[in-house]
Amino acid sequence: MTLAQTEITLPGPGPGRVRAWTATLSGGDVTRLVALATVALVFIGFAVTTRGFFTSWNILNVIEQSAIPGILALAMALVILTGGSDVQTGGIDLSLAANMGLSAAIFAVALRAGWGEPAALAATLGAGMLVGVVNGLAVVRLGILPLLATLAMSNIVGGLELVLTENTVIPATSPILNVLSAGSFLGLSSLTWVLILVSTLAAVILHASPPGLRLYATGGHPEAARAAGVSVGRLILGSYAVAGFTAAFAAILSVSRLSASSTGTGEMLLSILAAALLGTVFSRRGVPTVAGTLIAVLFIGFLSNGFQLKGLSSNWVSGVQGALILAVVAATALNRRKGG
Amino acid sequence: MSIALPRAGLIGERLAASALLIAFAGLFLFFALSAPAFLTAGNLKNILVNNVAILGVVAIGMTFVVKSGGIDLSTGVALDAAGFGFAFALTAAIAAPLAISLGLAAALVVGAVNVLLIARLRLNPFLATLALLFIGQSAQRLLTGGGSPIYLGNRSYADVLGAIGRSDLLGIPTPVIVLALVAALAFVILHRGRLGREISAIGAAPEAAHYSGISTTFVLARVWLIAALLSGIAGILLTATVRSYIPMSGNGYLLDAIGAAFIGTTLRRDGRPSVHGTLIGVLLLGVVRNGLLLIGWNFYWQQVGIGVLVFAVLALSYGLRREGRH
Repeated sequence: MTLAQTEITLPGPGPGRVRAWTATLSGGDVTRLVALATVALVFIGFAVTTRGFFTSWNILNVIEQSAIPGILALAMALVILTGGSDVQTGGIDLSLAANMGLSAAIFAVALRAGWGEPAALAATLGAGMLVGVVNGLAVVRLGILPLLATLAMSNIVGGLELVLTENTVIPATSPILNVLSAGSFLGLSSLTWVLILVSTLAAVILHASPPGLRLYATGGHPEAARAAGVSVGRLILGSYAVAGFTAAFAAILSVSRLSASSTGTGEMLLSILAAALLGTVFSRRGVPTVAGTLIAVLFIGFLSNGFQLKGLSSNWVSGVQGALILAVVAATALNRRKGG
Repeated sequence: MSIALPRAGLIGERLAASALLIAFAGLFLFFALSAPAFLTAGNLKNILVNNVAILGVVAIGMTFVVKSGGIDLSTGVALDAAGFGFAFALTAAIAAPLAISLGLAAALVVGAVNVLLIARLRLNPFLATLALLFIGQSAQRLLTGGGSPIYLGNRSYADVLGAIGRSDLLGIPTPVIVLALVAALAFVILHRGRLGREISAIGAAPEAAHYSGISTTFVLARVWLIAALLSGIAGILLTATVRSYIPMSGNGYLLDAIGAAFIGTTLRRDGRPSVHGTLIGVLLLGVVRNGLLLIGWNFYWQQVGIGVLVFAVLALSYGLRREGRH
């Protein structure tokens, strides 16, 4: 279909000129511009019409609130970009949010049991990573569909969290938690700095290093990557392990923010998934990127914040979020088809 | 692909395909021996009514979608839409048959949106239905003043709801009969008819299906309408069983339905979803949930147990299949 279109529109001076202008932009560029313009419009719209939105305090506040979902969404993006984006067989980690819940519970319970801070931290990060490693082994060694393996894992992990906490909130305090929750540097809170550091680290590894290239190759075309000497299996296993570790890391941030473990963390899963998937439309090739994921997370954050400030009922928030996801995705798909 | 496999591989593949059945039979036997209350007519009926019937109908809808190469995260939205439509119509004193039709129509509206987005505009089903899931949550909050249930405890509804949720025919509860009918019809459509072959072709190789003259748009449209209709039927059953519409209760079936449909894929050597595979997946989940309860595990450990067992079945089946390939 696209072939026929290009054949017809090649000659002819009138429409040809218009085409020549769009031809300098590839389909991916147009898509990205449309998506970014949508985000910018929504942001400007809130800034102009909503009191208290475009203030440094509010903006910093939204960024700080986005730290935990942002870090989790980056982990999800890593798994998706390494495992490929096929709807049924691609990389996905449905146990990410539940893993954060379990890790937070482990941390809080360990502190309550009188463990020292280093031991509690090690146990938490180790447990989170172990969950990721089991996911990775199930996917790579056993060949179970990621969707399915991590779904079962989210059940296990969610259940273990309930066993550990008996569905109660467990308060926790420790020196490092105080630094994370109350510290600030150059006017930015600790959480904001953590988000910046994690994002920078992820961007350097994914977008400016040979391993990053290998990860994208693995997700984009595993056969070709394997032929080129990339150890595909090890990288996929690694992506799940890192995602598990990241979930535990986010759990520590979450415990610091709430001064306690929290119940119902599993409910975050869909919005994390939405952010990671929505993030792909901000990249040229439609793959998850660090910048795209961050834009998506901040977009969703500013959207909810704007609604709150406008005094609109919170009942509207998820609906508008869904409608915008749909609008961006539809615009992307239509553009991609037109651009070929 | 399986044709080209060497003979030694076939044994592994056969074993892999029967791993699900062996696991199901083993668990059934285990619970029958360790929990005296398990293997009683009353309890088996209880499993079928409370753990199998509604999830089964939803999961069969999911099977159509998965077979066509997609995934449906909005199945709970269609389920809730039907529940809301049905409950709202009843409270507005609308006659039961019309109330049921309105409920199913509401579910089909969700299906029609999916048809537009996925069959017509070719959006990624994961993203499209995820967006719909978010929109569905808002819609339900707005329609119910923030999420308050519609209770149908009033005696005037008792006849209608009882007839759907608590009646039986020759001792077989109505929801189970509904599931049996849905399953039989779905089996014929998906495994014996032309539409099933076309769905299968689109799921396996969309390009090839397109070039061999299958109208992808129309076939996918039917897939998503069927899925929504089945979720709608489940919504009516749920509302009648619990005698109320509780906003966003449909999401509780989402992950189990996906799980059952994909567990069912281990039944076939080609790893494709099937109606009978899905039903065994639903039965497995139901039996395990009920069995763990009867041997005295609390709710928290049940969840762990279900996860571990599902994981084990998957590991066994996929592991054996992989062994067969090497």
